[in-house]
Amino acid sequence: MSLQIIENATCTFCGCVCDDINLHHDDLRIHKAERACVLGTAWFLNHTAEKKYPVALVDGRETSLDEAIEVAAGILHEADMPLVYGLSNTTCEAQKECAALADQLGGILDSHTSL
Amino acid sequence: MKQRADFIVYWGGNPAECHPRHFTKYTIMQKSKFLPRGRKDRTMVLVDIRETKSVKAADIFLQVRPGKDFELITILRALVKGQYVADEAIAETGLTRETLDDLVHRMKTCKFGCFFFGMGLSMTRGKHMNSAALLTLAAEMNAFTKFVAMPMRGHGNVTGADVIMRWQTGFPFGISFNRGYPRYNPGEFSTVDLLVRGDCDAAFIIGADPGATMPQPAIDHLKRIPTIVLDPHITHTSKLARVHITTAPQGIAAPGTAYRMDELPMPLKPALKSPYPTDEEVVRRINEAIAQKPFWLPEGSQPQLLTTIG
Repeated sequence: MSLQIIENATCTFCGCVCDDINLHHDDLRIHKAERACVLGTAWFLNHTAEKKYPVALVDGRETSLDEAIEVAAGILHEADMPLVYGLSNTTCEAQKECAALADQLGGILDSHTSL
Repeated sequence: MKQRADFIVYWGGNPAECHPRHFTKYTIMQKSKFLPRGRKDRTMVLVDIRETKSVKAADIFLQVRPGKDFELITILRALVKGQYVADEAIAETGLTRETLDDLVHRMKTCKFGCFFFGMGLSMTRGKHMNSAALLTLAAEMNAFTKFVAMPMRGHGNVTGADVIMRWQTGFPFGISFNRGYPRYNPGEFSTVDLLVRGDCDAAFIIGADPGATMPQPAIDHLKRIPTIVLDPHITHTSKLARVHITTAPQGIAAPGTAYRMDELPMPLKPALKSPYPTDEEVVRRINEAIAQKPFWLPEGSQPQLLTTIG
């Protein structure tokens, strides 16, 4: 099967965010990341579209996404001082949603920067 | 920087191993109209406490004594201004007066200087005071030549987090909304301090693995409180969390935008279709679910804007 190629893809492993990577991929995995460095290659080749993990876990038990969202919303809503933290390995769009989440909860919003 | 920086200092970082393409793509190896000979037209200085693989790329390597970065920067600031510095003060940093005089001379005579500082500076003794001192030094250097400073950001889109938070709240990190409006106070609202003191009673972790990186007292508190984790993998933090939701990895299966460390937004081009939802979708759905519940004020209503009448 011939591989599809995405030209000038963006690597988000480190802060360099190189945007000149050519990805050779099929439906399941990326086979080759041209021009990527050692770290970038590992990043692209180690993530696959396989379903390796359960969709969601609540108290270590596998569950549906809907239930996990409901439990998460419940926990955050009940808390007096919830913390929203991380925000590095995710997209700006998700980060904006997180800012809205902390605002709505009256909680704390913080990123890796403070570590 | 790529076009004009002829004097580049990496301080407390190891770009050869942590940002492998930084040299070739953005700094010392690039040839440009202003620096046609590329590497030969540029000087690179590395400041670190030990010899890393980046030393090979450097013209000058300054091995500073651990925990003495702040002292070294302060000495440089004094030398730049031609102020008196005692021999003992220089000896304390593990360097000699000749080295520092030479460095100051090079800094003043370059056309465009740049400091890149890594976690070796900003996360060791002195922490943000070190970064502040280096930024001040860079600012003061502008009395002589052009000089800038930039942090070497680690994880993918941590720059984006700063940018988004600045845009949405006016502050870059360490923000509290518990009075209904954003307040900024690192040390009080920064995660490690918050967790070590045990101030928060729930945690929502996205795109990070504090269970692997934070000090033990902080992890202990994460274990005590209900924690929710969004991550493409089952991480150390997921194992101690009450809720884990698997999401699509950004840039591989999730579309969106990421910021480069010089605050340039880059579109992501995902190659794969993930069986998992994106972070954005999950957080939006949690937001919607919370919006259904009464607001957190005792009356359960949104605060109203007070308007003056008349």
